[in-house]
Amino acid sequence: MTLNNDVLWYKDAVIYQVHVRSFYDKNGDGVGDFQGLAEKLDYLQDLGINAIWLMPFFPSPLRDDGYDIADYRSVHPAYGTLEDFQAFLAAAHERDIRVIIEMVLNHTSDQHPWFQESRSSPDNPRRDWYVWGATDTGYKGTRIIFVDTEMSNWAWDPVSKSYYWHRFFSHQPDLNYDNPSVREEMWNVMKFWLEMGVDGFRLDAVPYLVEREGTSCENLPETHAILKELRSKLDEQFPGRMLLAEANQWPADLRPYFGDGDEFHMAFHFPLMPRMFMGLKLEDRKPITEILQQTPEIPAGCQWCMFLRNHDELTLEMVTDAERDYMYDMYAEEKSMRLNVGIRRRLAPLLDNDRRRIELMNGMLMSLPGTPIIYYGDEIGMGDNIDLGDRNGVRTPMQWTGGWNGGFSAAEPEKLSLPLILHPVYGYPAVNVLAQKRSEHSLLSWMQHIVSVRRSTPVFGSGTIEFLYPANHRILAYVRQLGKETILVVNNLSGAAQAVELDLRQYKGNILIEMSGRNIFPRVGDLPYLLTMGPYQFYWFRLRRI
Amino acid sequence: MAEESVLRDDFLRQLISVGEVDILVGLATHNNAKTVGPVVKAIQAGILTYFPRERAAIINADGGSRDGTPDLVTRVSIDDARPAGNLRTLRTLHSISTHYGNGPSGSALRTILAAAELLRAKACAVISPESVNIEPDWISRLLRPIYNENFDLVLPLYRRHKFEGLLMRNVIYPMTRSLYGCRIREPYATEFGFSGRLGSDFVNRDIWSHEMARSGPELPLTVAAMTGGYRLYQSFLGTKAPMDRGSNDLVPALRHTVGALFWSLQPNFAVWSASPNSQPVPTVGPESEVALEPVRVNRKRLRDAFLTGVAELDPVFRSILSPSTLAELQQIAGRSEDDFRYPAELWVKTVYEFAVSYHKSVMSRDHIIQALAPLYRGRMFSFLAENRNGSAEDIEHNIETLCGEFERLRPYLLKMWNGGE
Repeated sequence: MTLNNDVLWYKDAVIYQVHVRSFYDKNGDGVGDFQGLAEKLDYLQDLGINAIWLMPFFPSPLRDDGYDIADYRSVHPAYGTLEDFQAFLAAAHERDIRVIIEMVLNHTSDQHPWFQESRSSPDNPRRDWYVWGATDTGYKGTRIIFVDTEMSNWAWDPVSKSYYWHRFFSHQPDLNYDNPSVREEMWNVMKFWLEMGVDGFRLDAVPYLVEREGTSCENLPETHAILKELRSKLDEQFPGRMLLAEANQWPADLRPYFGDGDEFHMAFHFPLMPRMFMGLKLEDRKPITEILQQTPEIPAGCQWCMFLRNHDELTLEMVTDAERDYMYDMYAEEKSMRLNVGIRRRLAPLLDNDRRRIELMNGMLMSLPGTPIIYYGDEIGMGDNIDLGDRNGVRTPMQWTGGWNGGFSAAEPEKLSLPLILHPVYGYPAVNVLAQKRSEHSLLSWMQHIVSVRRSTPVFGSGTIEFLYPANHRILAYVRQLGKETILVVNNLSGAAQAVELDLRQYKGNILIEMSGRNIFPRVGDLPYLLTMGPYQFYWFRLRRI
Repeated sequence: MAEESVLRDDFLRQLISVGEVDILVGLATHNNAKTVGPVVKAIQAGILTYFPRERAAIINADGGSRDGTPDLVTRVSIDDARPAGNLRTLRTLHSISTHYGNGPSGSALRTILAAAELLRAKACAVISPESVNIEPDWISRLLRPIYNENFDLVLPLYRRHKFEGLLMRNVIYPMTRSLYGCRIREPYATEFGFSGRLGSDFVNRDIWSHEMARSGPELPLTVAAMTGGYRLYQSFLGTKAPMDRGSNDLVPALRHTVGALFWSLQPNFAVWSASPNSQPVPTVGPESEVALEPVRVNRKRLRDAFLTGVAELDPVFRSILSPSTLAELQQIAGRSEDDFRYPAELWVKTVYEFAVSYHKSVMSRDHIIQALAPLYRGRMFSFLAENRNGSAEDIEHNIETLCGEFERLRPYLLKMWNGGE
C-alpha cells in the first residue's frame, strides 16, 4: 500500500464516481465487474483523480440498482468475488487512489435475511430490527421521498400481517436504529470493510435513521447521536478513514452533520448544484453566491463535497417552487426527463453538448470550496437515454471505443446490463475514450489538464473563499486563499463576451499568472482591474508579488 | 467635430455591467423624491411578479435632482450584495441612474432610448415618477403586449374625471386620429411601452437637434410608430393621478403636445395627406372610463382669458387665422357668458389654421403656440359648459363628434397647407 499518510486526504481529493456494473466488463458476460474496473485504473490515474467512490456492489435483488442490499459482507456475483474486490482495492492503493464505498445504513432489501426473519414472527429475535406498526397511521408528518412511485411510508406485509416503515421504495424496509443490536451490527459491517482497507464510506440517506412521532423524522438528534457514535469508533479504530454524508438538506440543516468535527468528515452540498445550472442559464451569479452566503462555516477538518451530476436525478428538492419550475422548463422540457423531484439527465445533454459550458461548469466545480466529484462518463461528455426507466438512463455502460459494445463488453449486445447510448451525437461511435485520448483538444484531455491544475495547489481544497461583487452580475469572481497562496477565479456565466472591473486594491502590486497557460497578466494597481472575457470563459489566476 | 455622446462614461460603465436585458423600465426624474419611492417599488414588484425570469433593468435619467431622487431609484436594485429582504428572486435586478445633463427634458427619454438600444432591450416602458397610484400590474399591461405579442407601442388608457385630460380630448386625440388614422386616446403619455426596434429606430432618427424633439419627444415617438408601420396597442391602467399643475403650465404643455404635433406634420405630409379614415387599435380594458364626481372649476377665468386674448392678440391672429375664422371668433367673443359657445367646427378650423401657420412659420413658432393658449381656454369654457351635467355617454358622444369634425375637415387642412385661402 503506497497511500500517503495525510489524514485530511479527502480535502485535496478529486473523486471519481463509478458504478462497477457499467464501467468495464472483463469476463464478457455483459455486466461490468471488479476485474474490469481494476483494469481501467490506469485510465483513472491518467485522468488525475485520486479517489474512487463505488456505488453499491453488494448482493441485491437490484430493484434499486443495488441500494437494496441483501448481504452487507459480500460482492454481487455479477461483479465478481470478494477476492476480486480486494485485488481491485490493492491495485487502486498502489496508484495512490483511495476507495470510498457505499454504505446503505437506513434500510435493507426486503430480501435480506434480517427482514425475512423479522417478518416471520412477532416473536423472532430480529423482529425489532425493523420498524413495524399495527396501523399505517404513525409518523404522519413525514414526507414521501419517491413521490412518483410511493403513496405512503408504510407498506403492508402479508406475511406478518402488519405494516412496516420505509422512507424509500416499499421493498426497502427501514432498519430500526432504536435497537442497539442494529447499531452494533451495522458498525460490524463497516468494520468488515474497513479492515479490508477501504478508505471511506458514503453513508446513504443518513437523515432518516430514527423515527419519532410528531416530527418530520428527519435530522433528529437521536440520528446525530448514532452517527457520532459511528464516527467515534471510526476515529478510534481506523484513523484516517472518512465518512461522507448523503443528506439532501438545506445548508443550515446540513451543518449539524459535521457536528463539532465529530460527526461527518464530508457532506454533499446538494443545494449548490442546481443553482450552478440555474446561474448558468440565467447568466447571473446570484443563485450561486446566495446559496454560498447561506452556507455556514464548517469545522476545520470538514469538507463539502461538490458535484455536477451523479447517478441520481438532478435533485430539485432544495430549491424554491419558482426555481424548480424554472429548472424544469429550462433543462427538462420533456416530461420524461423528470423523475421524482428532479431531472434525470447527464451533464453534456443538460448543457446542449456545449463544450464551453461543460468546461465552465467543471471549472467552477474544481474551484469552489469543496472536494469535486466527477461522475463516470462525464469526462468524455457521455449522453443519456431517457427511454430507460427510473435513473438507468444516466447509468449506461462506459464508452471506451467506437467498436463492439463501445469497448465495454465482449458479450452479445442483447446481454448487456443496460443498452449503450446509440444517439448520433452522444453515442459510443462519436463519444468514446479511445478517440478522445488521441486528441489533445478533446474534452477528456481538457479534463485531465484541469484536474492536474486543480491538484497543483491545496488552495482549492482547503483555502478560504471571498467573493468579489463586480457590478457585472454575469461574472462570478472569488478569491481563494491558503497561507501565502492566493488564487483569483473569474467565471463568465454569459454566452456573450463581457467586460468586468474587479476591485483588487487589496492585492495591489501583485501580478496575475493565469494558471492554465501560465501567462502573465498586468500588475494590479489602484484602478479597478479590467478584464474582458469570452463567452463562458473562466480564468484561474495565481497572485504573485514579485 | 464629433457629436457629443448622450451617455456619460460612468453611465456607460453601468450599462456594461447590466448587459443585455429583456425588459427595461425608464424613469425620467427631476426632484421627485416625494413620489418616486413608491413608484419604483411598484415597478420592482411588477418586474418580479410578471417577469420573474426575464433579464430586467430600471434606468433612471435624472435632471440633476438635489433631493436624493436617484438614490431612491437605485435602492430597489436586487443583487447578491444587496438581497431583497424577504423577496425571493431568481435574478439580479439592476436599477441604475445617470444625470442627463442640463438639457431639456426630452434628453431624458433620449437617454433611456439610447440605453435600451445598447442593452438590446426587447420591451421597454417609461413610467412617470409622479404616478403615485401605479400598481405593479401596470408593468405587465404596458410590456406584455410587446414582449409576448410583438406590438411596438403600448399607450395607456386611464380612468379620468370628465374634466381632466381636456387638452388630450380636445386636440391631441382627435387631431392625431384624424391625421394618422389611429384611434389612440393618449398619443402623448407619461406612461407607455415600446419595443426595442421602435426605440432603436426613433433614437437614431435625425431629429434630436430640433428643439421640439429635444423638449418633448413623446408625441413624435407616437407619430413615428403610427407612420412607420409599427403595431400599436392600448392598455387600460386605471385611474390617472392628477398632476399638480397650475394654469401657468398650459403653454409648456401646448409646446410639448400641440407644438410637437404641428411639428410632426411636415415630415409626415405624405402619410397624413393620404391617410384613410381612422381605425381602432387593439385595446385591452375599457377605452374610455369617466368619473363624474362634481368638481369646482373656475370657468370665469377661462372665458376672461379668451376674451383678453381675442382683444389683445388681434394682430397676431390676423397673421395666423383666416378672416372668416377670426370673424367668427370675434363674434362669439361678443356673446354673453350664458350664450358663449365655441363650436366644434370653429375649433377644428382654428387648430388646423394654427397648424398651417406653424408650418409656414408666419411668425415665431413659439409665439404661434403661445397664441393658441387663450383660444384653447375659450374652447375649455365651452366644453365645460356643454358637459356640465353630461353623463359619461354624453361626454363620449361629444368627443366622438369632435373627432368626426377633425376627420371631416382634413381636406380643409390639406387645402390650406397647399396654399389655399
